[in-house]
Amino acid sequence: MEGEMPKVLLVDDEERFRVTTARLLGVRGFQVGTAGSGVEALEELERNPYDVVVLDVKMPGVSGIEALAEIKRRQPQVEVLILTGHASVDAAVEIMRLGGCEYLLKPCSMDELVEKIERALERKAMKEGSEEKP
Amino acid sequence: MLKSTIELARYGIPWLGPAMAFLGGLALLAEGKGQWPAIAVIFGSVLSAGGIYSLLRSLRKGEKERALLDVRMLQSHKLASLGELTAGIAHEINNPLAIIGREAEWLEHLLSTMPPAEGVPRKELLESVREVGVQVNRCREITQNLLSFARKMEPIFQKVDVNRLVEDMVKLVETETQGKGIEIVRDYQQPMEPIMTDPPGLRQVMLNLLNNARQAIEGRGQITIRTRALEDGRVQIAVEDTGCGIPREHLPRIFDPFFTTKAHGKGTGLGLSICHGIVDRLGGRIWVRSEPGLGSTFVVELPATPKRAS
Ligand SMILES: Nc1ncnc2c1ncn2[C@@H]1O[C@H](COP(=O)(O)OP(=O)(O)OP(=O)(O)O)[C@@H](O)[C@H]1O
Ligand SMILES: [Mg+2]
Repeated sequence: MEGEMPKVLLVDDEERFRVTTARLLGVRGFQVGTAGSGVEALEELERNPYDVVVLDVKMPGVSGIEALAEIKRRQPQVEVLILTGHASVDAAVEIMRLGGCEYLLKPCSMDELVEKIERALERKAMKEGSEEKP
Repeated sequence: MLKSTIELARYGIPWLGPAMAFLGGLALLAEGKGQWPAIAVIFGSVLSAGGIYSLLRSLRKGEKERALLDVRMLQSHKLASLGELTAGIAHEINNPLAIIGREAEWLEHLLSTMPPAEGVPRKELLESVREVGVQVNRCREITQNLLSFARKMEPIFQKVDVNRLVEDMVKLVETETQGKGIEIVRDYQQPMEPIMTDPPGLRQVMLNLLNNARQAIEGRGQITIRTRALEDGRVQIAVEDTGCGIPREHLPRIFDPFFTTKAHGKGTGLGLSICHGIVDRLGGRIWVRSEPGLGSTFVVELPATPKRAS
């Protein structure tokens, strides 16, 4: 794993946001895949491995929350970061319950986003480390 | 609701144009078509950020207009809708705002990695595009304030022993009625399964209903508080009084905000409209039966668990 670019899957139904954010993440040294819906995200995760999923919870079709539950079920090792223009107590509680991932409110700067992604990567590395040497 | 949609559209249109200029320019810029597109991008984004900003300001700053709008909206029987509308607007604006901010960052990246070119005022372009980012942040603060205002109105559901909560409020009101010829009769169904609801909200409802009952009784009288569980788990709480009753022609208006028959300074007319808003948010219903001269019964019905808000 050392030296490899971390892989981030960006899931958002706003195409323009997806494209530009992916470009900027590329500039920051991430390998980025994108998906426009929860279903696409699940398909993409089947095809390619990712370290972190950045997920908008308000999308048409499978809601982000459902997608989150499904991702956690299929690939519990993937870290999920919730990015959304919506924030309600209900949603926050549900998200925490589904795997204690972090929550970032739109709009957010690239610095904030990258910081959260890096923290998620650290968490992932820590989990993997503790699994290797019990 | 329709009115506010129209209003939103009216404010929204001025920044649509600039936003298009911004995106168009950006597309040309990405294809390397020189400096004019860059300038279009910057002007477009500054203007659209400005447009959104002024929309938000007019929403927040025009307190007086807001107050007027509030009164109209309250007429729809829903105090809660103010919070919902506010949250709705903030949510809708956060998405375009996120795009504007992201595009500005991309533009900044492009400009700062572009080789210096004759006649391109790079420093000014960079300054300008950074200003877009600053203004996006300013808008973000406003939408987040709006969201936290709206969130305060959201109920937090937890397991509640209805009889106990009701009894707490009855005791509170009893201290006011003691020695005034008003008898309080309790008729609680025991035992009763707890329900999922918002305790502060339900307490507020009980207090308003009990106070109304107390105020309806002139001289001697009786207030009966009943709790019942229905077969499907729903719970009904009834507050019955032997007071003045409600004339037929007032019935359609008693849940309206500011409708009161009480003397100036005695009633604001908000009690029942607040009750209606709260019960709505708790997923329940409230209604009244009244016989002028004999008394009134207000019934609150709550679900065992609220239907999931989508
Ligand atoms: N139990 C009742 N018996 C008779 N009339 C009632 C009763 N409850 C409410 N009303 C009528 O409905 C009106 C509106 O009630 P509401 O609680 O909304 O406002 P209010 O009691 O007048 O003022 P506030 O509750 O703001 O002090 C009252 O002014 C009264 O005319
Ligand atoms: Mg009242």
